[in-house]
Amino acid sequence: MVPVSAGRLLVPVSESSTLRNTVAYAVEQAFESAGESDRAASIHFVFPLSERYTYGTEPQAADEAQSLLDRVAVWAEEDLGDNADAVEIETALVGTEEYLFSPGDYADVLVRYAEAHSLDRAVFDPEFNPLGTTPLLPPLENEMRRAGLDVEDAPVQRSRRSPLLVQRGTVAQFLALFAASFGFYLVLAGSLATFELVTGAISAGIVAVVLWGVSLTTPLRPGRTVMQFLRLLLYIPYLLWEIAKANLQVAYVVLHPDLPIDPKMVEFDAAVWSPLPITTLANSITLTPGTLTVDVSKRQFMVHSLTESSREGLFGGALERAVRFVFYGRAAARIPSPRERSGEEGEET
Amino acid sequence: MIDQILLVAAAAFVGTSLVGVYRIAAGPTMPDRVIAINVVGSNVVIVIALLAAAIGEPGALDIALVYALLNFLLSIAISKFSVERGGVL
Amino acid sequence: MTPTEILVLVLAAGGVFFSLVAAVGLVRMPDLYTRAHSSSKSETLGAVLALAAVAIAFGTQLSTIKAVLLLVFMFLTNPTAAHAITRASAEQGIEPWTTEDDDP
Repeated sequence: MVPVSAGRLLVPVSESSTLRNTVAYAVEQAFESAGESDRAASIHFVFPLSERYTYGTEPQAADEAQSLLDRVAVWAEEDLGDNADAVEIETALVGTEEYLFSPGDYADVLVRYAEAHSLDRAVFDPEFNPLGTTPLLPPLENEMRRAGLDVEDAPVQRSRRSPLLVQRGTVAQFLALFAASFGFYLVLAGSLATFELVTGAISAGIVAVVLWGVSLTTPLRPGRTVMQFLRLLLYIPYLLWEIAKANLQVAYVVLHPDLPIDPKMVEFDAAVWSPLPITTLANSITLTPGTLTVDVSKRQFMVHSLTESSREGLFGGALERAVRFVFYGRAAARIPSPRERSGEEGEET
Repeated sequence: MIDQILLVAAAAFVGTSLVGVYRIAAGPTMPDRVIAINVVGSNVVIVIALLAAAIGEPGALDIALVYALLNFLLSIAISKFSVERGGVL
Repeated sequence: MTPTEILVLVLAAGGVFFSLVAAVGLVRMPDLYTRAHSSSKSETLGAVLALAAVAIAFGTQLSTIKAVLLLVFMFLTNPTAAHAITRASAEQGIEPWTTEDDDP
């Protein structure tokens, strides 16, 4: 059943309850095949860590990942016991230069690592899920199979099979969602009568229970959220001013008898991470001078621009800087603009 | 006085919607039509809101709110549908 | 005319103007991407101005909050919808019009 050269294993790890048993299984597999194979058996434990965590905003994430890897290495050596020479243990952080977002991104990074170290078999922890709430494993495994690797789940007992909804939600998230829905209901109802309060509480309760684990995927951090909100209040007048300018410009272009447009698709890599800032930036770009976000994949924005001057404004990076200021604070606003980063006017398609 | 202003504005919005209807009819591609429908839909929301203020019927604002939701869902659903052929979100 | 009336008049007139720009853009622009420009930007500003007029006309009532909610909602969803449609067209392989192409 086990292929001849299966002594070289790739084991992606992340914090999970079944990790310990997965490590034991992987070590056992590698050791069994160590004798049959002509090449040295080895296990590579890798921790996919997206760039968004390594870029200063959450420095402790990299430390946590490293300490998890160290722990895994210790476990593996424990399992090998006296046979420590038979199997070689390696650990690595991967993906730290990239923005990992979809299962495809993770698969890319893992497959590249496997090729670089000529690993041909991947053992997955069934609870492996660095993305949080979104199910990652099945599509990830399919992608890796397509790339020609042997993929299997470690046959470990899941300690608990908790329902998906309760898995990640915290009480704070539940309360936040409940409060928002309840408030919205009362605004629509327009009164504080007992009837409205009761029906509102029931509806908000249903919404919060059903969408608890869906709508808020990251833990709430009240302090940070409040700061972001305050900076957002600063951002809105700026955005409105930009929108007003943009509209006068578009109005001029549209009403001009000659229709002086020179539309072009341009692409650039934005220096923002994680879904919410990217959404904000994409929407802001769409609303301001002659530019329209067409597609965003990872960090690459595809922008349709109406006139030459709108492209100038886009690569000047003022908006991008403002969005970074809102979500990451003042220090992040000093990252160079897209033009300075690329040294040219972006690549045109 | 305010009522008259709002009524005239509502009439003007209906007028611009008719221009949008030309684009819905002319096409030429489906996304063109969807964009035009989106514009007309936004105009309808605005007209409902303006009328709600003009004739003093606050309940109509709820209708406008629901219509705005539907208008947004329509665009998203059609673009999703046209890309993934039946795959929903 | 009271100040409120003047404010409502100015906002409503602005809303109508930008909505008109959106409609003219929709008709005159050569391809769907450029049309999406007019629908996303001008239409959004038109909607925001008109709904601001509505909010002010209601004075201070619950309806004002609703009008503001509607305003915020339009402000968030209009560009998103335009983005969704253009993205779908881009993935279908519709090429954007450029100045090298023939006249619109």
